Order: sequence, then C-alpha cells, then structure tokens
Amino acid sequence: MTATRNLGAARTLAAAGLLGRRLASAALTMLTVSLLVFAVLEVNIEGVATKVLGQFSTADQRHAWLLQNGYFDPLPVRYARWVWGFLTGRWGVSTYYHADVLALIAPRLLASGMLMGAALLVIIPLALILGVLAGVRQGSVVDRSVSFLAIVTTSVPEFASAVFLSAIFVFWLGWLPGVSTLAGGASLREFMLPVAVLALSSTGYIARMTRASMVEVMAAPYVRTALLKGASIRRIIFAHALRNALGAPVTVIMLQIPWLLSGVIVVEVFFAYPGFGTLLYQASVNSDIYLIEACAMIGVIAVVTSQLLSDLINAWLNPRLAPALKA
Amino acid sequence: MAGGRSGMRGLQNNGGGRLHPAVGDLVDQVLDGTLDRRAFLRTVAWLGVSVPSAQALLGVAGCAPASAVSAQRRLRFVCAVQQITDPALTTWIEASNLFRNSLEFLTEVDADNITHPYLAESWTPSDDLKTWRFQLRQGIRWSNGDVFDVDDVAFNFKRWLDPRSQSVNRTSFAAIQDFERLNDHAFALHLNRPVCSLPEQLYAFTCPILHRRFEQEGGDWPKNPVGTGPFQLTGYEVGRSAKFRRRSSYWGERPKVEEIDYIDLGPDVATHVAALAAGQVDVLYRVTISELDLVKRLPHARLLRTPAAHTLVMRMQPDRKPFEDIRVRQAVVAAADNAAMLKFAYRGLGVVGENTHVAPTQPDYAALPPRPRDVAKARRLLAEAGHPNGLDLTLTLGNTQGRWEQDTAQVLQQNCAEAGIRIRLNVIPPAEYWSVWDKTPFGLTYWSHRPLGVMLYDLAYRSGSVWNESRFADPEFDHALDAAMAVLDPKARAVQMARAETILRDRAVIIQPYWPEKFTAVADRVIGHRVHPSDYFRMDRVGLA
Repeated sequence: MTATRNLGAARTLAAAGLLGRRLASAALTMLTVSLLVFAVLEVNIEGVATKVLGQFSTADQRHAWLLQNGYFDPLPVRYARWVWGFLTGRWGVSTYYHADVLALIAPRLLASGMLMGAALLVIIPLALILGVLAGVRQGSVVDRSVSFLAIVTTSVPEFASAVFLSAIFVFWLGWLPGVSTLAGGASLREFMLPVAVLALSSTGYIARMTRASMVEVMAAPYVRTALLKGASIRRIIFAHALRNALGAPVTVIMLQIPWLLSGVIVVEVFFAYPGFGTLLYQASVNSDIYLIEACAMIGVIAVVTSQLLSDLINAWLNPRLAPALKA
Repeated sequence: MAGGRSGMRGLQNNGGGRLHPAVGDLVDQVLDGTLDRRAFLRTVAWLGVSVPSAQALLGVAGCAPASAVSAQRRLRFVCAVQQITDPALTTWIEASNLFRNSLEFLTEVDADNITHPYLAESWTPSDDLKTWRFQLRQGIRWSNGDVFDVDDVAFNFKRWLDPRSQSVNRTSFAAIQDFERLNDHAFALHLNRPVCSLPEQLYAFTCPILHRRFEQEGGDWPKNPVGTGPFQLTGYEVGRSAKFRRRSSYWGERPKVEEIDYIDLGPDVATHVAALAAGQVDVLYRVTISELDLVKRLPHARLLRTPAAHTLVMRMQPDRKPFEDIRVRQAVVAAADNAAMLKFAYRGLGVVGENTHVAPTQPDYAALPPRPRDVAKARRLLAEAGHPNGLDLTLTLGNTQGRWEQDTAQVLQQNCAEAGIRIRLNVIPPAEYWSVWDKTPFGLTYWSHRPLGVMLYDLAYRSGSVWNESRFADPEFDHALDAAMAVLDPKARAVQMARAETILRDRAVIIQPYWPEKFTAVADRVIGHRVHPSDYFRMDRVGLA
C-alpha cells in the first residue's frame, strides 16, 4: 500500500516538474516570437507612423505623433512597454477598423474557434474510425482504399479543395451557399463547405497515423495472445488495442491544431467567414500594424498552448511516457 | 433672342424663366444634325434646361418610370464597408455608395452623363457663366424632422471652401469666390472665371449635402446619420456590413425596396461571384475580366456592362533619367501596340486608346489622325538617343484593379522587346503602389472615369496639379486646356481639345492603351440596376421581382 502511494506521489511530482518545464519553454518561445514581431514591425518608427497616420500624412505630423507616443525612447524601454501593454490587454487601436484591437479580436477568435471545433468534431471520429478499420487488417481492401484516399486528400492543399468543392456544390449542383458570412446567425449550411475543406486536408493524415499505430499494436504479443485465447476481434480492439494505439494520433491531432489555424486563414478568406483568419488577412493587406502584432501574438499563444495540451494528454494516456518527456 | 426661334418651342428651364443665350445655337446645331443629341442634352442640362422638355424637342422619349413592384423586400449588395466619419473627406467611392442612400446632392448625373435636378430644382447661369443662381426644392425634411433650406447648403459650401478645408472640394471649386444667400430656398454662386460644367461637378462623390449642425453634433456621420435621402442607416460595422431601411417620410418617389444590406465579402471578386451563384447576394459592385466567363454561365444572374472613360496609363516622368530625352519616350510609345494590349490583356472588350487620355465616349473628345505602331522608328529613335544596343527600363505597377494591369504590362514588355527596349516589371502590392504612384519614374496607374476629358486633363496633366503623376508641365498645353474649359459649345470645345490632345500625344509622356469595358452582375430578380460609369449607384430606383 505505502509503496503504491509513494509511487503515486512520485508520479505527481514528476508530472508537476514536467508541467513546470513545459510552461517555462512555452514562455521562452512566446518571448522570442514577441521579440521578432517587435523587431519586424516596430523598430522602423517612420514606418509605424506612416502606417498609423496614412501615406498622405506630412513629415511634421508623423514626427509629432512619434514624439507624443514615446517612439523616441530607447528600444528596450519601448519593448518593455509594448510587452506590458500586451499583457494588460492594451493592444492599441486598429487603423483600418478604427476599433479597439482587443474588442475586435475576441468575437473573431470565438468564430474561428467554432469553425475549428466543428472541423475537429468531424475530423477526429472520422480519422480514428478509418484509421482503426484500416489498421486492424493490414493489407486488406479496406486498408488499401483508406490509405489511397488519405494520401489523395492530404496532398490537395486547402486553396485548391475550396475551389473544387465550391465548383461542385455551389456553381454546379447549387446545393450549398457560396459564402459563409454568418450574417443571419450561425447556420449549419454555411458551416458545411468550410468544415469539409478543413476536414479533407487533415483527416487523411490523422487516419494514416492511427493506422500505423494500430498496425503496430495489432502485431504486439499481448494482442496475439488474446487472439489465440479466442477473444473476439471487437473485444481485442476495445479492451486491448485502442488505448495503446491512441498515443500517436493524439499527438498528431494536437499538432494539427496550429496547422488548422493556418488552414483556417485560407478557408475563411475564401468563404468570407468572419473569423480570426479574415481579420489577420485584412490586417496584413491594409498594413494595420497593431492588429497584425496582436494577431501574431495570438497565433503563438495558440500554438504553444496546443503543444502543452498535447504533452499533458499524452502523459495522461500513457504514464510511462511522463519521465521520458524531458525534452 | 433665343426664345424667339421657331425650333425652340416647348424648351424650358427647370424653374421657368429665360433660357441661356447659348441654347439657341445648340438647338440649331442639333436640329440640322451637326451636333450629337446626347452632347446636346448634356450641355443644355448644365444650363438649367429641363431634360424632359429637351427630349420632347428632339422627339425622343425619356426613360419611362419603372413599373411598381412588390416592395416588401430586402436587397443585398456586395460592397467594401470601410470607415466613414466626414462624408466630404471621403477618398473612396464605395463609401459614397453607402451614404448615397441617406444623403443627397444638389444635382444628379445619370449613367449617360446628363445632369438632372435633385435637391436643387433648377439653376440659371448668367450669360458669362460666372454667376449661377440655384433654386432649392421646397418641402424637404431631414430625417430628424428639421426643414431643409438654404442654411444647410450654405453650411456645406462654407466648409468645402474654407482655406483650412482638407476636402478635395476646395480645389475642385476653387473658382467659387462667394456664396450668396438669396432667400430661404435660393442662393447664388459667384465665380472668378466661367465654368460651364458646375452643376455636373456638384454630383462629385465628396459633395453630399450634410445637415447644418453636422459638425456641432459630433461630425461623425455613421454615429448620427441624419439625411434627406430615401433610406435611414440602421447599422454600420466596418469590414462586415451596413444596413439601411426605407424612410416613410421621404420627399421623393418611394424606394422600391424596404431594406438594403451592404455586405463586405473581402477583396476577392471570385468570392463575390460564389455568393451570387448561391443566391446569397443580389448585386455585385464589380466583376473583373477574370470572372467574366464564370458569370456568363451562372443560371440566375445577369451580366451588366457599360463603356466608361476609365483606363490604364503608363506614364514616363520627363524630368527623370532616361526619360528626359524625348526620343526615348517616343521610342517606347512607337513600340507599344495598343491594339495588342487590348486584345491579349482585356480580351478585346473595349476601345483602343490613342495615347491622349480622352475617350470617344466623352463629349469633348476630338478625333486625331491615327498614328500607327512603328517598331523601325522606335529603333531609330533609340539609336539617335544614344542607345544603339537597346535600353533597360523598370515599370512599376500594383495590380490595384486586378491582374489585367500586369497582363497589359507584359504585352507592353513584349512589344518593346521587339525594338530593343528591355522592360523589367516591378510588381508590388496594391496598397504599396498608392504610396509610390506619383514618385516612380515609369509607372502604370489606373484612372477612374470622369465625365469630361477636360476634368482628366485638369487633374492629371496641368502643370503643378496635385495628381499630376507624370510631372508633365507645358504652358502651351495649359493654355489650350484653359481655352477648352471656357467653351460651352461641344463642337467648339472639341476644336480646343484637339490642340491639347495633340500636344499631350506629341510630348510622348503616356501610353494609354485602351478603354476597358466595365462589368458587374446582378441576380435575375433585380430590376432597374444600371452600371454607372463612375460607380455612383442610386438604389432607391432598384427593385426586386
């Protein structure tokens, strides 16, 4: 009993240590990216003033504005002020939308979250089912067809599949709406095409990862033993193989989230979906400097958080992995 | 006396009263067939003559009012929704198409470039065209209940003409010396030089008439959207949408639709077409040449098209190397094949340009003797200019209107290669182009439609004009332009314009390859929408079937 309890305590400690190390590395990543964003967008102060005041502003106006906003202070001071402003939610005012950046981003993030959530709801079950089906009997017809489809769909980029799907379902058949502005509130029909495009590019990859993992598990001695003992294939999959085979797909799914974030930009712009992606796109097209900065930082936070989550879920699925995750 | 001629019977001013003395000559010319009917209508309309009475004189029927249709509908229009604060400071036409639903103008210029009464019901120019009396329509109320009168108009003119005004109106109305209030519904404008097209200029997109307390009440129109127009602004979200609802107490004809939603679908026209195909929107702002085939195949949509005086100009700054040698500029112009640029970059849908920047559809156009392409001459000129082994040039462009700008430049590149001129294309993002458009020595710039050639010349080629991107400065040209601007008679003006056009073409500062057609598309159920060459849309006349 005591031994078990000690083991449990040790595991908790190890997990806490892991979490601490992970948090530290996440913070370091964010710091590095923030330095890069600052260096690219804020070091050339003449550029900042032109972007904020417009190309028709005079040199005097720009100088006065820079002076008034402390742009002639030393770089480290300005960087510290900028980071502090970001941490305390003062993200500036968008030059294109003329609105507070934080207020602008929040509903857009929610909309993109909805889109990604909907996409994951389709991707995860579909990919796991297909992957497991293919992996149970390696080399079967099911396995070959799933692998073939997975490779084809994964190799088509989002901007191409968006055009294909819209050509078929909007222009030819006329079944689905061509843009997803959510003007009349969230609508299932408007979600279909964007979700389909995202699902098409991600499902295949995750399905193939699940299949590989499943094939490996199905060849493991304990599965063979169970088979020899006469257990049903259903029992083998659900009781023995699945949990062990899920580790790799979960990592892939979590790594897929940042990937989805970039796919979301393409899809959102194509379907005029009012999300984070279109906002970032508009910001870059219009040189909307404070909005670009905030969007870049949000992007980093999303990537770092999803990696952190992926590690934690993996540790939970397979406790043996915990000490090995020291990277 | 003009009114005494037999042919003038029935011709009258919008407000009654004496006709301008020039009207008689114009009538004689149109009746003996020496003056084009549309040019006649345009000119007498400036002078305050009622267009229906002029049409009756010519024996042509005006547009019959569209039949009444069910009005309980919402129209959805794809349009960029950018920030608006002060409508007089607007720099993009899309914004004006939003506030055009609520704010009105003193005059209106239709898609045929004919000027009609609007908030001003009539106007009378003095014989020397230097004093203009305007009579305002009575019985108009603002959406906040106030009566519209001359004080509102005075407020607007005062802020346009204020020396500290940042509005482009200050320069376009520089000739106005004084605004004189005559009574509650009449005023006079006193000019320091004759301007015949003044009523037409009052429909520029920066000239909506604002309420007299616009500045006192915040100076931010979407926040306090008071107007005299047919619709009331009910929602405004930059980058998303703008919503308008019909006003029950509008003074004019009742709009045919109840509500208009403007939806911002981003800059990609292909996305707009997808929305039209799926029946999610009714009217597109524009369709470019790239989407043309797609739109033609849509089952429930209609393609609309119109010729317009908008164009691409590839201009060389004559004060920059190597363009200070006129032989270099002449060589580039001689090597350019305008017909090929139209054919390959715009699929032949337009009219070939003559490097004069005046369109055959503009009333003051003068045809010049053709000057065909001559590659041998280009080579000879280049050798004479000291470049016997050819010349390297860089052409900067930004695809501000779409990919066809670059396609046009590529054809020019091939044309010039035949003459030994090697052009490198410097393609930059659209937003970036507008920060260098007047600075780059050799650039390709899009010029939007203007009703008159003199307006384009005044903006783009007069010495020292703010928008003179080619840095062309020629006193002889300015003189010819001044002369053309003061002439009312279209034929006499064309004679003056022929001089200005010849000078501009001889100085070889621009290649102006073609006049592309303008396209847009609407859903089948849309009735009464016309493509306006300036993109000025009156949505109260558009209905849904």
